[in-house]
Amino acid sequence: MAGYGGWAGKVLRVDLSTRRSWTEDTLEKYKDYVGGTGIGYKVIWDEVPAGTTPHDPENRLIFAVGPLAGTGVPCSSRTAVTTLWPTCWPKPLVASGNMGGQFATKLKHAGYDALVIQGRADRPVWLSIIDKRVEIQDARRLWGHGIRRTTEAISEIMGADAVVAAIGQAGENLVPMSVAVNSVSHAAEGIGSIMGSKNLKAIGVCGSGSVRFAGDREEWEKLIKYHLSLIGANNQHVVPNSPQPWAEYHASGTRWVAAPKRIWGAAPRPIESGTCDPHDMNRIAYRSNNAVVYLGESVWQYTVRGNGCASCPIRCHTIIKVPSVSEKYGIPDMGQSTCVRLQIGSLFFKEFPDGRRGKTNVEACMVGMHLADDLGLWDNYGQLQRDFQKLYYDGFIRKKLGEKEFKSYSWDKYEKGDPQFLFELLPRIASKEGELGTALGVGTGFLLERWSIPEDLWRTEKELNYWKMGHPKHHSTEEAGQCGLLINLPYNRDPQCHSHSNFIGNGLPLSVQKGLAAELWGSPDALDGRAAYTPMNPSKAKMAKWSLLRKELHDSLSLCNWMAPLSASPLKERGYRGDDSLESKLYSLATGDKKDRQEMDQVAERIFVLHRALTIRDMGTKDMRTQHDTIPEWVFHDKAGKAPFTKGTTVMDRSDIKQAIDMFYDEMGWDRTSGAPTSQAYRRLGMNEVAEDLKKRKLLP
Amino acid sequence: MNAHNDRAKATEAAWVLGVMIRQESKEGRLISASEILGRAADQKLFLTPGGGPGEEAANLLRKVVGENEDLHELAAEDGSRSYYSSLFMTEVYARILLQKQAAPLRLIADIVRQNSAAYPRPVPLDLFTQHPFDLTLEEVMNRVKQMSALIEYKDIEPTTTSTSRVFLYSTLHLDSEYAAMLAEWLDVGQSENP
Repeated sequence: MAGYGGWAGKVLRVDLSTRRSWTEDTLEKYKDYVGGTGIGYKVIWDEVPAGTTPHDPENRLIFAVGPLAGTGVPCSSRTAVTTLWPTCWPKPLVASGNMGGQFATKLKHAGYDALVIQGRADRPVWLSIIDKRVEIQDARRLWGHGIRRTTEAISEIMGADAVVAAIGQAGENLVPMSVAVNSVSHAAEGIGSIMGSKNLKAIGVCGSGSVRFAGDREEWEKLIKYHLSLIGANNQHVVPNSPQPWAEYHASGTRWVAAPKRIWGAAPRPIESGTCDPHDMNRIAYRSNNAVVYLGESVWQYTVRGNGCASCPIRCHTIIKVPSVSEKYGIPDMGQSTCVRLQIGSLFFKEFPDGRRGKTNVEACMVGMHLADDLGLWDNYGQLQRDFQKLYYDGFIRKKLGEKEFKSYSWDKYEKGDPQFLFELLPRIASKEGELGTALGVGTGFLLERWSIPEDLWRTEKELNYWKMGHPKHHSTEEAGQCGLLINLPYNRDPQCHSHSNFIGNGLPLSVQKGLAAELWGSPDALDGRAAYTPMNPSKAKMAKWSLLRKELHDSLSLCNWMAPLSASPLKERGYRGDDSLESKLYSLATGDKKDRQEMDQVAERIFVLHRALTIRDMGTKDMRTQHDTIPEWVFHDKAGKAPFTKGTTVMDRSDIKQAIDMFYDEMGWDRTSGAPTSQAYRRLGMNEVAEDLKKRKLLP
Repeated sequence: MNAHNDRAKATEAAWVLGVMIRQESKEGRLISASEILGRAADQKLFLTPGGGPGEEAANLLRKVVGENEDLHELAAEDGSRSYYSSLFMTEVYARILLQKQAAPLRLIADIVRQNSAAYPRPVPLDLFTQHPFDLTLEEVMNRVKQMSALIEYKDIEPTTTSTSRVFLYSTLHLDSEYAAMLAEWLDVGQSENP
């Protein structure tokens, strides 16, 4: 640890079976893997043998942050939570959830780069971490309660400065589709049942320390100001969605929604979001309003303000106040979240009496957030709701449920789009009540298997968004053609990668984007217009590799991949360039371990390849190309019969995709036939011991 | 001495004119020549007896714009002139403000054509209810109806999404199927793939 800044220097280990805690030196074991997912994968590689199942006490649950967490770097409060993933079908494999909120900063300020939990407590417990004081506390009184009450109870003990990550009834009941939530609305997907299996109700953290950085203070402050100057709105959209005096461009559909006359109508005193000149860094938090982005313009009237993670100026969890829900549903009139989790309730319904952008939609969102963030339910990036609609409207639910259970649901309310229906459905999933509640909680792959529905049925229907292994696509062919497809291949859940989609959605005209693409990936042809795709070329493979490595880099540094990389900026004077060496500059100055952009990308590649090695080891096959990196059939079909490479379709061409995968494997240094990293690839990344292990298992190409 | 005073007064007047334009731009507004000169007269900035905005004042305004790189003149189709400072406003925005008054149909067409050509993407009708357009939806629809009867706007076409939201596109740059697909993405697809 001597000389390095950024890292806290210790990894906290807790064995719940033996009620023992201890620390390890972070850098001795994990420096080459930086933090976050890097530490997570390394712990699983070193300590969790192939064949372990998610709910085994031997499985590890790793909450890990990176050297930038707690430093005040903008958008640096992400915690990667790595474990054997319970919804990965047919066989659980390694994956990570990623939560924002205050947890990363508090853990770091308490003196830890990671918290590794193993074993199983003999009764419900919660973990109290107050700097060096680590205690396993009795949680029997909290067991059975929701996340809100648990958080309040622990906060009363630890004080207002504590952050609490807790599970609800879903996690307790070992429902795989469950989360842990910290800071009201920040959920780590998929890990609720892992905590539940360890009898761990919650983790409370108070940190009174700080993070030392190695570099010169003035240089650091200059770099932070530079970072802020490049930031746009949420998802690094750099063009406002309506004309602004300062802006050369405007683009409907971006998340830069602030404008004169757009008002936070439910704030104690109404606040105009206004003209947010990008040079005015004190107005960054006014630029975004994700409730409006997802629920429509009418939501300005319900907007209280933005909320979000520690040290983030974007505030993407918009707080909305909808008084009617208290009266109608008896729930609090305030809610906050973003993206799919904001819509977790409304996405169950096909229609609402007042349309998709009406008040009932907003109310369904409020009810959904209220229930899911308390019960601790996960929706698998909207797959749960898409599955539910398909299962209901295609008659599967009617067929699979007994008469009594089927009639116990108010299907008339469901069909009419009445949010009250959610009070019938969501608690039953969290408590595994009945066949429907149980089946919906196991995740798509296991659900299909349980109900003898061929997975191929899901893999042929585009509207289901289903990709593979129990999980949906995430920013795939609909946004980035071949590059998006490649990004959806290597992970064991949806990839949660936004490096490419942020750039594509940033709002700049295609010609400007292509100019930036040429600088980033060697050719303007890395990028096509939306649904105006051209055949595969090497620069698209470079873009895919860059996107994936940046995702791992951010997850290991604690940077938010919903914002970084800042590959574009709102600054006309920079030709709208961002700076994709920002991560290496921040890392070098924070830690004192000087690395340039290429060296930092190599670290990211090491982490990414370790994930690949783990997948190969735990699947027991090196044949990733045919056994793992599979593509759903819907990708190759266009309903209107449009041919690939014609405007207005996102349909892919089979031989072109074969070539795309070849090019991507070449770019990664992986074997074309199997899609497994070669021994040279491992050696280049300093991973000889991984290669040796796989060689012994006959898992090297 | 008088010549010196006159020069000093002219310098002062030039400065005030520049400030006037910049202040309006900072507030997100264009300022017309007549408004500048009227205000200048109120402030008795000019040497002309009686203080009215004569030829001298108009010449000075041209000179001010010529000597300051950030100040720009825009001419409307009716010949009237307006001014803005690029320190606070882009030309794109200034032209929107100009057309808003002088050529409202042309404004809608230009915005639609620019978006269809550059991004490419259709434009939701409700964009024009936002600032700085500030129209009601009814006004927008009336204008689109007027445009549909005029030959110079025959390339501007509507497309309606599954949520009944109407977008406009230019057939000069997008075909109808592609425009419909892009509109559906913007309206529905994007929020379902966040």
